[in-house]
Amino acid sequence: MIPFAETLPNSTVVVNKLTDDSNIIGSASPKEISLFIISLVVAYVLGLVIAHYLKLKLSHRLKPDQLTLLTRVIRVLLIIFAFAATVPALLDMGFTILMLIFVGIIAIIGLSSQKVISNMVGGLALLYEHPFATGDFISTGDVSGTVVSTRLFSVLIRTTSGVSVQIPNDQIYSTDVAKYYINVARRYDYVVGIRYKDDVKKAIETISGLLDDYTFVLKNPAPNVFVNDIDADSVRVMFRIWFPSVWANTKDDISFQTEILPHVKAALEAAGIEMPYAHREIFFTDPDLKFPKLHEGKE
Amino acid sequence: MFGRYERGFSYSDPEVNLRIDDTTTLPEYRRECGGTVVAKHLAADYDAIHIHPVEPVNLPEEITHHLEISFPPIVLPPTAKKKIFLTFPVEIGVFFEIRGEMSLLDIFSLVPTKFSLYGLPGTGIITRWYRSGIFSDIPATDLHREGVLELTLINSSSTTVDISRAVFDCYGMQMFYGDRVGMTATMEIVSPVIASTTFTALPPKGCPNRSIDLYAARRFAIDPRNSFFMESGME
Repeated sequence: MIPFAETLPNSTVVVNKLTDDSNIIGSASPKEISLFIISLVVAYVLGLVIAHYLKLKLSHRLKPDQLTLLTRVIRVLLIIFAFAATVPALLDMGFTILMLIFVGIIAIIGLSSQKVISNMVGGLALLYEHPFATGDFISTGDVSGTVVSTRLFSVLIRTTSGVSVQIPNDQIYSTDVAKYYINVARRYDYVVGIRYKDDVKKAIETISGLLDDYTFVLKNPAPNVFVNDIDADSVRVMFRIWFPSVWANTKDDISFQTEILPHVKAALEAAGIEMPYAHREIFFTDPDLKFPKLHEGKE
Repeated sequence: MFGRYERGFSYSDPEVNLRIDDTTTLPEYRRECGGTVVAKHLAADYDAIHIHPVEPVNLPEEITHHLEISFPPIVLPPTAKKKIFLTFPVEIGVFFEIRGEMSLLDIFSLVPTKFSLYGLPGTGIITRWYRSGIFSDIPATDLHREGVLELTLINSSSTTVDISRAVFDCYGMQMFYGDRVGMTATMEIVSPVIASTTFTALPPKGCPNRSIDLYAARRFAIDPRNSFFMESGME
């Protein structure tokens, strides 16, 4: 080996570098390493500043997820530019360091659980398929709420009660997701019970008239009011109404009920129609059966 | 009501009271209409107030920019061309002017709002819905409530079509006012289920003044196209 190294002086240099502990960072000088780190920091800070500026200027023109994508692309490009501008000087860093970095990456991947990887794959699938956007109202599993952000490993949802729920991507990708924004109109169903002796036709006309005057109840498809069931205590009248999704999705179910049902009740009562208490009629086979007097004057 | 008002303006009729109080620290705009009182302070030294009819798709909140006018069915033979008059709801915009720049201050209406769905829930659009009669001449209207649409129907298809509604994209709406509020448009029927509606820049008879385009006043980027394709039928 030595005679061969003597004929090829460069090979001798490599051998010397690999065995020289004092030269572990290769030919990269402290100045070059500092420049590399500083340029990355500058690119990161510049990306933050540009993102802030774009948010101020474009937040009313772009959707939140579009704005987020734009700022992320710009920030990543800045980082890549800074990296590309400074890393050539570091490329001939010591082989030991390169190996350490490589082994470190392998170790990180190896130590990562399968869950993390599956979440990342789920995140990439969500980014590719784009089944919902930031700001959409969705339901998945037991959670309903507005999508705050879609990240690489999880989706952050803000529920109507103001709680933020972080759902792993693999979970959200493998379960059913109800999307409330995909259609421009949504239907809501409500049921009210009226007494047997009340005029059903009048009740239907009363509810239909009320809904016709209600701004956000769509004219087409027209509200559908009909007798849904006749149960032990009441005649059940169902009404199906369509709302614009863009408006309905800003409300929760409680808001609808408090907005619609009190008006229906008031309109029915104004028309002389009442919602009955649960009651039961009992018939006795012995017509002479007498009940003992419990109180004076009352049977 | 419509027109330009100098500082210290006030307007009053049995239904609407509008005024700006310039004696307060900041000028206070006040509107009383239909039992509702709206008061706003204007943090600007305005030059004038303008009250104009605006595109009727802003109230109670911006849900759509499409106006659907429903009317009794009309049967239109092939290649026929017919001018009819319809009515549409009016929304009233109050603008303040600073060095020639218009900015929106308030919008209100004396007409109740109703929305509808044109097409299917998955592919259709939400529209501001309004029921109109059909008139062969300019109908008498309360200009604070209804405008008059001069609509030219053109059947370019080879079949007889039934028409009972027209849908317009308000981004291209060009409104005028004077004795009444008015606009002109054409509706070209391409096939029994497809039609194209387009607003024209021609001022209708008795409406010499051009209204402020609300979307331009809000500095929205407007799609230069002002046609809308009705692809979900006309009845």
